Amino acid sequence: MSVDYARVFAALCDGNVEFILVGGTAANVHGSARLTQDVDIVYRRSRENVARLVAALGPFDPYLRGAPPGLPFRWDAETIWRGLNFTLQTALGPLDALGEITGGGGYDALLAHTLEIEAFGQRIRCLDLRKLIEVKRAAGRPKDLEAVAELEALLDESGG
Amino acid sequence: MERDPVIEEYKKHVDRTLLRENLKLTVEQRLRHLMELQKLSEELRLAGRKAR
Repeated sequence: MSVDYARVFAALCDGNVEFILVGGTAANVHGSARLTQDVDIVYRRSRENVARLVAALGPFDPYLRGAPPGLPFRWDAETIWRGLNFTLQTALGPLDALGEITGGGGYDALLAHTLEIEAFGQRIRCLDLRKLIEVKRAAGRPKDLEAVAELEALLDESGG
Repeated sequence: MERDPVIEEYKKHVDRTLLRENLKLTVEQRLRHLMELQKLSEELRLAGRKAR
């Protein structure tokens, strides 16, 4: 299933959710040619923002991706507050709602390393290219080596 | 940024022509292109499943 970015961004922005676009979609924003199948966001870990996140995505039936149907998973503020990182399937496509990322921390730590982008009529905070490289390096997964190489090539191409 | 010799080796194989084309696009155009690729990938996956 593809991600409906226009509706994801509209839901989050209209719901005043504080979030940062990270991961493969952020890489595409910076010009990556690699295919990613989901959208990763880091949401701010405050009670108020968790409530906004729950309200914004609630209409799109978020459920744990890959989990068998019938698990006692409730998409509510208490569940999100007790957890941290959630890999979700939604009616708008696969979405990872992350409280923290390896090598980057949470929303407040990442905020200084973002830029504002505009797409589909929304203004969105996106992790900047240098920090994206840093967190991909920190993740240290073999599958990220090619992705990091491409991001560093993008940095070269953009005069970084 | 510190150079990593492993990453430097991988960088030799990056197709920069694709990156240069992407950099000519707006952010929204890049995301629309990504959505088209996701749909194509899904169609191919389903076609492969039917063929088995």
